[in-house]
Amino acid sequence: MRLPKSWLQDYVDFNVTDEEFIERMMWRGFELEGVEKELKDVSGVITGKILTMEKHPNADKLTVCQVDLGGKTAQILTNAKNVFVGAIVPVAYAGAKIGNHDFTVANIRGVESQGMFCSGGEFNLSDVEYPGAEVDGILILRADTPLGIPIEKAIDRDDVIFDFSVLPNRPDCNSIIGLVREAAAALGQKMKTPVIPHIEGEGDVNDLVKVTVENGELCPRYTGRAAVDLKIGPSPAWMQRRLKEMGMRPISNIVDITNYVLVEYGHPTHAFDLACIRDGHIIVRNAQEGEKVVTLDKKERIMDKDMLLISDPQGGVGVAGVMGGLNSEITENTKAVFFESAAFKASNIRHTARKLHHVTDAAARFIKGVEPVNAYLALERCIELVSELNAGKIVGGTVDVCAADLTDREIDVDVSHVNRMLNTSLSGEKMAELLSTIEVPATAKGNDLHVVIPHFRTDIESGIEADADIAEEVGRIYGFDNIPAVLMNGDTFQGGMARAFQAEDKVKDVLVACGCLEMYNYNFTGPNALKALAFAAGDVRNDAVKLLNPFGEDQSLMRTTLYMGMLDSAARNIRRKTGYGRFMEVGNVHFDLGGELLPREEKKIGLAFFGEGESFYTLKGVVETLLARFGVKGAKYQRNDVDCFQPGRRADVLVKGEKLGELGQVHPNVLAAWDISVPVYMAELSFEKLVELSVDTPTFQPLPKFPVVSRDLAIVVPEESESAHWIELIETALVDVIVEKGRLFDVYRGPAVGLGKKSLAITFNFRAEDHTLTDEEIKKAFETVIRVLGENGAPLRQ
Amino acid sequence: MENELQRIREEAQKKLAAMQEECDLNALQQQLFGKAGELTAILRTMGKLGKEERAQLGANVNKLKQELEAAMEERRAEFKRRAQELRFEKEALDVTEAGVSPVAMGHLHPMTKTYRTIRDALIGMGFQVFDGPEIELDDNNFTLLNLPLDHPARDMQDTFYINDKVLLRTHTSPCEIRALQNFKPPFRFLMPGRVFRVDEVDASHSPVFMQIEGFVVDKNLNLANLKGTLDAFIRAVFGENVKTRLRPSYFPFTEPSAELDMSCTICGGKGCRVCKGTGWIEILGCGMTNPHELENCGLDPKEWSAFAFGVGVDRVTSLKYGISDIRYEYENDARFLTQF
Repeated sequence: MRLPKSWLQDYVDFNVTDEEFIERMMWRGFELEGVEKELKDVSGVITGKILTMEKHPNADKLTVCQVDLGGKTAQILTNAKNVFVGAIVPVAYAGAKIGNHDFTVANIRGVESQGMFCSGGEFNLSDVEYPGAEVDGILILRADTPLGIPIEKAIDRDDVIFDFSVLPNRPDCNSIIGLVREAAAALGQKMKTPVIPHIEGEGDVNDLVKVTVENGELCPRYTGRAAVDLKIGPSPAWMQRRLKEMGMRPISNIVDITNYVLVEYGHPTHAFDLACIRDGHIIVRNAQEGEKVVTLDKKERIMDKDMLLISDPQGGVGVAGVMGGLNSEITENTKAVFFESAAFKASNIRHTARKLHHVTDAAARFIKGVEPVNAYLALERCIELVSELNAGKIVGGTVDVCAADLTDREIDVDVSHVNRMLNTSLSGEKMAELLSTIEVPATAKGNDLHVVIPHFRTDIESGIEADADIAEEVGRIYGFDNIPAVLMNGDTFQGGMARAFQAEDKVKDVLVACGCLEMYNYNFTGPNALKALAFAAGDVRNDAVKLLNPFGEDQSLMRTTLYMGMLDSAARNIRRKTGYGRFMEVGNVHFDLGGELLPREEKKIGLAFFGEGESFYTLKGVVETLLARFGVKGAKYQRNDVDCFQPGRRADVLVKGEKLGELGQVHPNVLAAWDISVPVYMAELSFEKLVELSVDTPTFQPLPKFPVVSRDLAIVVPEESESAHWIELIETALVDVIVEKGRLFDVYRGPAVGLGKKSLAITFNFRAEDHTLTDEEIKKAFETVIRVLGENGAPLRQ
Repeated sequence: MENELQRIREEAQKKLAAMQEECDLNALQQQLFGKAGELTAILRTMGKLGKEERAQLGANVNKLKQELEAAMEERRAEFKRRAQELRFEKEALDVTEAGVSPVAMGHLHPMTKTYRTIRDALIGMGFQVFDGPEIELDDNNFTLLNLPLDHPARDMQDTFYINDKVLLRTHTSPCEIRALQNFKPPFRFLMPGRVFRVDEVDASHSPVFMQIEGFVVDKNLNLANLKGTLDAFIRAVFGENVKTRLRPSYFPFTEPSAELDMSCTICGGKGCRVCKGTGWIEILGCGMTNPHELENCGLDPKEWSAFAFGVGVDRVTSLKYGISDIRYEYENDARFLTQF
């Protein structure tokens, strides 16, 4: 909300610096959004008097002027016709700035010009505000204007405008009156609250206009008054200036009055041309479905039955709370005006404005919340201004259709409860005194504080929240800064976190130790990305949760796997040649399983490896390390057919027969969809399953007492067979001797073993639990292993 | 015989002094003590001597033997020392050459680091970690938090909806509802998680970001406790010299509501571009929990009190590490991630 300093000064003495004022407002909950000079786009323009004028030697239309800038003389070229020797004019001397234009010394056809003269338009002045401001040419200043002073001083446009953000619970402060009420308290002063006189007028508006409110819920109060014999014309200088300071454009006296009252009292009013209200009957009713109204901006609005319409017997004359109708607009020919000042229900106006895609200044205020008492004040203020501006003859009487309760609410607040909430020890009397500074009347009686909630404080509740609301007000005025910082006392609490949270830390730490960088990707994805991953029909990852209002198609789904986001980031790293290709992410995915109200949320661990040195096996090595660190034993890697991976290079990670996750080399078709041309290896594991399977506290296993004997062998096996199969065969070949730690250490393919075959070199250990193996035992065991392998089609390599 | 011994001594000493290689020591050893050694030969003659003479000679020979053996050991040690010196010379390294890197460690995302710092500070004050789902019920995200149906913050432009009852949570505050529904007070919870707003991506906005909600329910909590808790935790995260201030604000789910500013970590409070010249940076929203919220969850607000705060992990990360653009935090560029 903008607050011009000069306007504030109508009600209080501004007795502090701007900085001090801004700080005090901050402590009351009004944060500064900005400070503006009244002529915010103008700097360095000063007044000067034209001493001499000569024709430009090389340009017919230009005049060379010597100008007295109050102590120094400047040479300025101009093509204006209305300047004369002795005229005092605004000079944008070299270094000045207007809008985006920087003025410098220029050479025009061989003659130097040290700046330019300015017109009234450059200062957004009208004739009403400064005589001659709208002339075609240069602004001629009053003859008594001092020379060399800033233009903003010369034309009295040197105000400062504060812009404070108003919190949503204080719609009353979206008005000058409301904001000044707080500002006065902040300055420690009593506001000179204006009293609006009731102007009786002649006749009775009720003879001119009849108002029927059909929907009292959406329109709790509808008030109106009228003025006749209008003299439509420009509004006076002071009003134009203030409207401009508030960022509004002056139009005509009657329209300007409604805009002025809008900012002054924060309540939207509307001026109808009375002659255009057919049958003199205003009906406030729900629109019919599809009913059309052309609004002031000449646009046709199509209404629905939930929208509130201001109509006469023949049709709409305005969209309630949003904009008036073009058919009843105030024009220069308007002779009689009917001012409407109503309270409409915020949610309904919000619905209407949103559906019509038209949130006007008025609608914005209704949406933030207005109240019925202020509606009447605003109406009376309009009438006062019509009278003050001498814009017409006031008609007596008032239309007032009111379903709202206008009495001030009263509450009793528990003083000790307020003190408990704030950690203060203020007396009820002190609280009453503090509240009185913001015009909230209260009287203390022991532990009871009786508060009369003024009509403008719609935020203060009379119910269960009352004590807290008053505590906030008392605290705010007393000063949050005066409340000490005290640590909580009382019982000791055991801080900490459950196993799953600890496990998440550990997952990340292990993966970082494995060289991974941690990614944070967005949760959004789209149908194209999902389709590119080509999950088989029936894969739960196809069942993505859809957003109703996404940014766009490609962000319309919640991710069902971390793959999409990780591929996005992988592609980015490859494109940017960051030189790093080992990433992990721990994040949630969602599945729309139907039935349940909330979709299923699962936490996943994702890995993405690519670039030099990375392979299926480097990825697998990290997966194995992770499982080992979580004490997960006996994981099996079994080929799968997940289509986002290349056939033959993809596997499920199975533990106790259950799928913990999967890994593989990303399918080239998938990579193509991400525009990636290097191999990428990815894995995704279920975080929840990992936690479930993990062993936090391993039980100690006694160390072997007797030595192990290591043996190697090379077997020839069919190409398609898997090493794990043969190792398992070796490890289970004997019962009386322990065979363990089987490990593949070389693979050979070539003529020596024949086509379709490969040779696997495997090392393993023999040992016994209770004695040192004898040479004889070892020899026998080794032979058994070889025999078992042979019987299963894996002869020793010759 | 004595002369003979003297001769052997002198000759051996001469040889030892002139000796160049360790293998010559063995030869000398043989020459003196071997089967055909000179001293061995002398000892063999002892049988022919009288008892007294034999004892005398025996003692003299032994003395000489010990003497020569000690001298030879000394020599041997010297040879060893010299050999080692030579080896060391040969093995000398260029210590200025670059070291071999250990297996490259990765890096945690800076937001994870920030989250852990904040979390650990709060755990130190007795908070327990708890969380809730990213896709939430409208009721938990809004209604029960005292955001009535008509509240402007519920507008479609702010919230991603799944349907009219389900949405992407816009803050971690619905975790408060879940905490109230699942645990008996008193308790202190910190509730981290991702939240979502319909905000177009720019340098300071992201449609996805991370918050930590702090939520304490107990009897007799007050605004001073909130202030004390936040002040302690901000100093734990940003350092002891950081100052905080609490100023009035508004949130539907707290009353009184406040915003916490901290002294600018960039300029130390003198005023700079980051703090827009004010010397203060807005860091979190907080307040005493609205009685309606407690009542909605079955607690008597006359008996119980609560406070809550919500801090943006992205924002704290940006401030802590001086990251100028929030977009970096979701691009996962390795050159960014390896800086932390």
